[in-house]
Amino acid sequence: MPPADPRAGAIYDLGYRAYDGPRLGRRAAVLSLYVFTLRAAFGIGRRPAAKVVPVLVTAFAFIPALIQLGVAALIGSRVEVVAPWNYLGFSEVPVALFCAGAAPEVFGRDLRYRTLALYFSRPLRRQDYALAKSAAFITALAVPTLGPLLLLVIGNGLASEDVPGYLAGHWRELPQSLAAGLLIAAVAGLGSLAIAVHAPRRAHATAAIAAWFLLTLPVAAIIVEVGGGAGRYAAWFSPFDLLYGAALAIFGREPGADSIQGAAGLPIATYLLLALLHAAAALALILRRFQRVQA
Amino acid sequence: MNFPVARLTARMLLGQRRTLLVVLLALLPVGIALLFRLAAPADADPERFTARTLLGGMLTGTILPLVSLVFATGAFGQDIEDGTAVYLLATPVPRRDIVVARVAVAWLAAAALLVPAALTAGAIAIQGGDPGIVAGFAAAIAAGSLVYTIVFTWLSIATSRALVAGLLYAFLWEGALSGLFSGIRFLSIRQYTAGIAGTFFDLPASVYQPRLDPLPALVLAAAVGAVFLLLAVRRLERWETGEAA
Repeated sequence: MPPADPRAGAIYDLGYRAYDGPRLGRRAAVLSLYVFTLRAAFGIGRRPAAKVVPVLVTAFAFIPALIQLGVAALIGSRVEVVAPWNYLGFSEVPVALFCAGAAPEVFGRDLRYRTLALYFSRPLRRQDYALAKSAAFITALAVPTLGPLLLLVIGNGLASEDVPGYLAGHWRELPQSLAAGLLIAAVAGLGSLAIAVHAPRRAHATAAIAAWFLLTLPVAAIIVEVGGGAGRYAAWFSPFDLLYGAALAIFGREPGADSIQGAAGLPIATYLLLALLHAAAALALILRRFQRVQA
Repeated sequence: MNFPVARLTARMLLGQRRTLLVVLLALLPVGIALLFRLAAPADADPERFTARTLLGGMLTGTILPLVSLVFATGAFGQDIEDGTAVYLLATPVPRRDIVVARVAVAWLAAAALLVPAALTAGAIAIQGGDPGIVAGFAAAIAAGSLVYTIVFTWLSIATSRALVAGLLYAFLWEGALSGLFSGIRFLSIRQYTAGIAGTFFDLPASVYQPRLDPLPALVLAAAVGAVFLLLAVRRLERWETGEAA
């Protein structure tokens, strides 16, 4: 090693300082990731083109509720076609398209551009990241799944002649709607995220989620119709049929004879149980993916 | 027809794992037809099931738009999204030829999957009913997939979210809304397809009846296909290198 040249090196004090302010830590990181993902799901803070699909689809999810309230206000409230327990039957296409459009964006960019290392080098843990983003997407999805139910329940209450009497008879619909709307958002949201994290491209994820929700509907209906004894179990394997049954179970209603649940004749509580199982399995798949992914 | 571009597109579409999933999608109606053949209740009407549920409902209503959409966006949207479209667009190949070659390949891929699927599924399920139903839907699906492919190719060039926009069109407009507003049948490729199929059979309304008559369906399908092909060519001709699609 040559002797150091005494003139070559000089250390200047440039005034660099270590950060000694408050460190917000893991909880704040989770919270800000949650808020960021929730905003991104509706395209807030993104270019206008990113807002079109979520806003349009959410608006479509509200239309049946608005029509029901409008008709009830004009010709009296005894015409009840659209109700909180059968609402999914009217909003399934918008809900599926919301998932197909927004779910691939939740984890997609971070997986594709390998920005996960930036997150995981912070106090945030891997499961924190996955849980915060999943929770944010479920919250976003609750706008089209839960929002119209609350609108219907509150609107029906306000439209009735005898508000205290209505409250006495129908107060249960409020917690039931909350439970059903959140359950639909959780199961559909986690299911589509589980598909999205395993698809290498955004386009593949979108197509796969759309097929998962919308193709299983007619297939399950046909299998239940023609499949006989064993075919009726197909009603469990279409996510929307499962969730429709789960919503009926939450509201304590019996399925109509023309619905697939009525045709299948399976105990209605099984739909609720399987929906919860479905959500748990999807969450396990998401968590496993982020335990293993190379950051 | 520009064969190098066509070959390139074919390799892009076929050399992928997702093509396997699309093949499974096309095999679904065959499986359902087998199930119907083996397990259907005795009072089921094979003609009604084949026309209304299997070919007119599931295949043209869900699988046809989905497969056409996947192939059309795969042939065009994918390399625009990746930014590799520039390498092809910067060559002196006329952009009209690029559009035509890609539409042709995407259509051939979709039709090569869906027409045999319709023929097989229909042949299994029809059980001695009017064979015109199967032939009609097979021919109509060949035509319908061309119109869908053209429209979705235009969508891939015009927007960056072609897949979601196509899903909105196929499921919200043609699916959910057309039940409420019957005039949508004049603006729905699904109804054009069903109308074209209707040239080959004449069933009572209780069994199956397309919402459009054959002649308007054929004319509208041809017009929509031609207009959107021109729009796609025009849009790509005006596409400037370096512009984010």
